[in-house]
Amino acid sequence: MTGKILHAQLHLMDRQLIEYRSGALLGKVDDVELDLRSEIPVVAALISGHQRIPAADIAEIDSAVKITPYQLNLTKGDDWVEQHLIGKIPGAGNETE
Amino acid sequence: MKKLLAVTLGILTAIGGFVDIGDLVTNALVGARFGMRLAWVVVVGVIGICLYAEMSGRVVAMSGRPVFDLIRERLGRRTGLFALIASFLVTLLTLIAEIGGVALAFELASGVNYLLWMPLAAIAVWLVIWRVKFSHLEKVFGLLGLLLIVFAVALWKLGPNWGQLAHQVTHPVPTGHETWLTYAYYAIALFGAAMTPYEVFFFSSGGVEEKWSRNDLGTERANVYLGFPLGGLLSLAIAGCTAVLYLPAGIKVETLGQVTLPTAVALGKLGLAIVLVGVFAATFGAALETALSCGYTIAQYFGWQWGKFVRPRQASRFHLIIVICLALSILVLLTAVDPVKVTEYSVVFAAMALPLTYLPILIIANDPDYMGESTNGRVLNFLALIYLGLLLLASIAAIPLMIVTKAGQ
Repeated sequence: MTGKILHAQLHLMDRQLIEYRSGALLGKVDDVELDLRSEIPVVAALISGHQRIPAADIAEIDSAVKITPYQLNLTKGDDWVEQHLIGKIPGAGNETE
Repeated sequence: MKKLLAVTLGILTAIGGFVDIGDLVTNALVGARFGMRLAWVVVVGVIGICLYAEMSGRVVAMSGRPVFDLIRERLGRRTGLFALIASFLVTLLTLIAEIGGVALAFELASGVNYLLWMPLAAIAVWLVIWRVKFSHLEKVFGLLGLLLIVFAVALWKLGPNWGQLAHQVTHPVPTGHETWLTYAYYAIALFGAAMTPYEVFFFSSGGVEEKWSRNDLGTERANVYLGFPLGGLLSLAIAGCTAVLYLPAGIKVETLGQVTLPTAVALGKLGLAIVLVGVFAATFGAALETALSCGYTIAQYFGWQWGKFVRPRQASRFHLIIVICLALSILVLLTAVDPVKVTEYSVVFAAMALPLTYLPILIIANDPDYMGESTNGRVLNFLALIYLGLLLLASIAAIPLMIVTKAGQ
């Protein structure tokens, strides 16, 4: 991110969150938490739903925000639907033909 | 050679894919009431969808982000949610109309009531989405949809007074019983049918599904700039057929049977058989596109995993939305609501939702952060802004006109 100016409202808010390695879609940036203690406000974390993603997890910012969430599970909703509904339909784990 | 084949195939599928139940019904209805006096709206609508589909395709190729992703990003959470609700409801209404259209095509072919076909149609749509690879969907149904060219053949065979049709085209004013109000109402309906929002949701999400990159821009443009206008010509042929057959007799088009009848009159049983397969393919293809678009819009707004490029279980909420929407379609159609009427309303409501769909595309297509050097040129922006004005006008006028004309009566 060297030399590139990012605007929190424009480049972070409402952006797509993507798992850096797998490319899985994880949610949206609903809010940005700023650390105001230092001289210049610093982005401390991104908020998605009820989850707080520490700024250290951010890997790359381009047209989406790519993250490596070490200790978070951001796909709880998808997992629940998968386990209770969609996963039970035959063929749910197959590639399409 | 392989490249040429890909382009040809893309164009052919775009022609077949352009026409759906909304275009079929609205063009036939308008042809029977106004002749070719509203043909200019089809031309205006086709140019509009070309402009914005090309832009959304370019945005996807350059940034990898589909349309509803961007709507949320640019409009923010609240306005984005409003856009989501409007676009989703319109797309769901269109899905209901398309499923009804598939069932009606089967009724015409078999004589068995469409209400019995309708659940089967919805289940078939789900099965195809669940099991069939994305790239096959468009090809099969797009190519079969090309059979609708039979409307052009039928028009020629009906041996119309071409001078009279040309006269109608060049005299775009209401005549006879028709007033300026009904004329304007159907102009908006035709505009909405040509520029239906789901077309760009599907087109741009399809770009992600097929992993478009900068190198695919040429193919994408060829598909849009040739496929959609040729699809528009099909629409005009449909209006031409009903203008020749029904307008002089003062018959109004109220059923899908009346839409297809001109081909039977001109070409006999064979013509009818061909058109029924064409109508089936066009409506079934559009049912797939709208069902997927219901999933695309919601999942992209919330950032959930979506798409057929992953296994169904990996995009579980996306697939759940599609199942729910198809179930809702069955329930709504089981109330015996007339699918043709649903179609008529869906295109007008589509016109209302247009500005919220197309404004964010225009903004992003000008943002070098996403587009690099492939931002819009000046001429394109000028045209796109004119269209945004038109979309806004149509959107504002739609409901008052619907009330004043009692939905075009």
